[in-house]
Amino acid sequence: MNKHLANVNGWTISAVLIIILLFSPNLSIVLGIFSPASDNWAHIKEFMLLKYIKTTLTLVFFTALFTISIGLSLAWLIAQYDFPLRNFMKWALILPLSIPPFIGAYTYHGIINYTGVIQKTLRNHFDITPNPAYFDIMNIPGAIFIYTLVLYPYVYMITRIFLSHQSASLIESARTLGKGPMEIFFRVVIPISRVSIIGGVSLVILEVLNDYGVVKYFGIQTFSTAIFQTWFGLGDLDSSIKLAASLMGIVIFILIIERLLRGGKQYSYSTTKVRPLPLVKLKGKKAVFATLYTVSIFSVAFLIPILQLIDWVILTFGKVPMEDVLLYTKNSITVAGLGAFLIIVFSLVVGNFGRLVKHKFAKVLPKLTVLGYSIPGVVVAVAVITTFITLDRFLAPFYQAIGIDSQLVLSVNLVMLISAYVIRFFAIGYNSIESGFDKIGTNFRDASRMLGANSLRTFFKIDVPMMKGAIISGFILVFVDILKEIPLTLILRPFNYDTLATKAFQYASDEKIMEASQASLLIVGVSTIAIFVFHKLLREEPK
Amino acid sequence: MYMEINNLMFSYSNSSSKTVDNFSFSVEKGEVISMLGRSGSGKSTFLRLIAGLEMPSGGSFTLNGKKMFCEDTFIHPEKRGIGMVFQDYALFPHMSVEDNIIFGLPKMSRKEKIKRAGEVLELVELTGFEKRYPHQLSGGQQQRVALARAIAPEPELILLDEPFSNLDTDLQVKIRGDLRRILKKAKTTAIFVTHNQNDAHALADRIVKIKDGKIDKIGRPCDLLGVSPTEIPGMIEITYEELIGV
Ligand SMILES: Nc1ncnc2c1ncn2[C@@H]1O[C@H](COP(=O)(O)OP(=O)(O)O)[C@@H](O)[C@H]1O
Ligand SMILES: [Mg+2]
Repeated sequence: MNKHLANVNGWTISAVLIIILLFSPNLSIVLGIFSPASDNWAHIKEFMLLKYIKTTLTLVFFTALFTISIGLSLAWLIAQYDFPLRNFMKWALILPLSIPPFIGAYTYHGIINYTGVIQKTLRNHFDITPNPAYFDIMNIPGAIFIYTLVLYPYVYMITRIFLSHQSASLIESARTLGKGPMEIFFRVVIPISRVSIIGGVSLVILEVLNDYGVVKYFGIQTFSTAIFQTWFGLGDLDSSIKLAASLMGIVIFILIIERLLRGGKQYSYSTTKVRPLPLVKLKGKKAVFATLYTVSIFSVAFLIPILQLIDWVILTFGKVPMEDVLLYTKNSITVAGLGAFLIIVFSLVVGNFGRLVKHKFAKVLPKLTVLGYSIPGVVVAVAVITTFITLDRFLAPFYQAIGIDSQLVLSVNLVMLISAYVIRFFAIGYNSIESGFDKIGTNFRDASRMLGANSLRTFFKIDVPMMKGAIISGFILVFVDILKEIPLTLILRPFNYDTLATKAFQYASDEKIMEASQASLLIVGVSTIAIFVFHKLLREEPK
Repeated sequence: MYMEINNLMFSYSNSSSKTVDNFSFSVEKGEVISMLGRSGSGKSTFLRLIAGLEMPSGGSFTLNGKKMFCEDTFIHPEKRGIGMVFQDYALFPHMSVEDNIIFGLPKMSRKEKIKRAGEVLELVELTGFEKRYPHQLSGGQQQRVALARAIAPEPELILLDEPFSNLDTDLQVKIRGDLRRILKKAKTTAIFVTHNQNDAHALADRIVKIKDGKIDKIGRPCDLLGVSPTEIPGMIEITYEELIGV
């Protein structure tokens, strides 16, 4: 009897279509490996590839190391101890996430370069003219510094939640066994938080691999910049597809390692009511040290760059015409809003399908789309543009038939950019929606159908209103991510279409650092508000 | 017969044994049937099959002359005209009591809907609670709203899944009496599921005992269970499990 399936057919068809649409462009990258190699590729392979791999892995390794050190130590301090400013720091330490890496990069460059506030102060007030080489951050260590500052919150956030909710009995029993704090930290805390540390640091690594803005601005050769260059500099799309495929190989390699390190099991916070870890009150020197440590991380990673941006905005106010800024803001909100809206709608369809169709493939299929988030933006850009150009070629006779003169229609349109956003950020929205569906279960849905409402009415009257929290937080997360996005937007935007992020990036690249500040501050401001709202939502949601 | 079930079969896709194994029985209009069985015996599954929330693997079911399912028919749950009270009530948390009830009413004017909601709320003695939200009600009140919501569209059959399991014992006894009065007053045919033989005894016209997915016995309460234990002075309430010694 397949009659029951008829019940969900509409959902199934739409969900499968969406999944195919989201997944297929990535296939074009995989297929690209098999296309004949050009001379460029032979050259890249022989002289450059190893260098890209080395640089990329250096960035990844040290950033991982430092984000773990900082993220874990902060998580441990906040989860176990009470000290002055702890409650504020608990969420303030997440805020650096609202600074896109490239904005952090050029702000810090601006702070410490020759005309920056540090060298100027040393010269004017202390009569010291230091060797400028000490103040060069436009190199690999500098990039690692920037990544660490803006990405450690991933490790901090995930590990802190784990430690405050899951570790009470283990840590308390270690305490009663007479173990000191250091011993507890190394022998208990690190081993039990392994899974959350790995979860956090994989996000960090994916962000590093995804980054285009910092390395481009600092002039460091990595996969991202090489893909961009091969494509636009050499006009060799085939070779950049091959580079993209290599980068994708690294990503998949890292994802596999992650799975292995996690010990094969998906980590989940157990749903049973857990006892929070009671806080130990620090006194005297220890309290001062804890406060100082958290305050200095917060200052270096968030406060100082923000103050510098505000300073520049004040200095340059009026230099960038207001109507331009308004236009970029409007464009940013348009693309981020459209992208987030589509992602939420698609997530609702796919999530509902995963929930209602009681077949294994309905559980596994949506997971495929999550790959998009792991794949660096530049790779997604290559994939999407290849797909759209193919599509345009395919549709060319149709364009002629309806009297459109151009060969390229879709691939010069906002449609392409939005599609790329949807592919890259789908997983962010989907996670939120999926956990929303998990939370409400199927009981209310059954009740609604027993009251005579069909599947569609149930969806709009029951499911959607009950998932308001998940929908709003999913929307916010995606919106902010698109707002900060750089490579996809740069590559795929229609001619002369600028967003806050692309404009800030261009100004900074042209060494008009001050002019870049206005757009940057807007991005960071909106992201900060979003993070704040998000935390409010999460906290108010009943457990 | 008003309602006929023949050779009903079902198993969950991830289980090899039959959860509902060859159920056949019939029900008269206005009858209140109680399904009695220990937990895990397949009672909820049976209700979900009747409701149309699960797809049987065989058998047929007719209600009031309409085929609900057989080899070539499967009527969707929303088209069956069957009401259901869920074990956890499943009151929509984002709707007021009144809106919960109105949700299930067929097409009619808003005024008529409100009137009907008032009628059923009166029936369950909750007049004045229209504007409350589910979280502002006690367990017993929620249970009665769930009942009112199920009765409001005048279903041809109403299903109740362990309607008392979430209530305090004191409340259970009171509501048990209320439920029978309400069902009889609304002249609704009902199947309610329980693992408590006192409930079955107090409420049902007939009892269907099930055991491991099979029908064990069907009969009148006094024939199957003897005198109700609660009617014997000094006797404590015992559950079905204790009675049959499992
Ligand atoms: N969704 C499901 N998938 C698989 N097995 C189920 C599911 N729901 C219930 N079961 C199993 O079917 C049997 C009957 O369950 P159920 O009908 O809920 O029993 P009852 O309501 O009498 O306690 C139990 O063994 C239960 O574990
Ligand atoms: Mg049950």
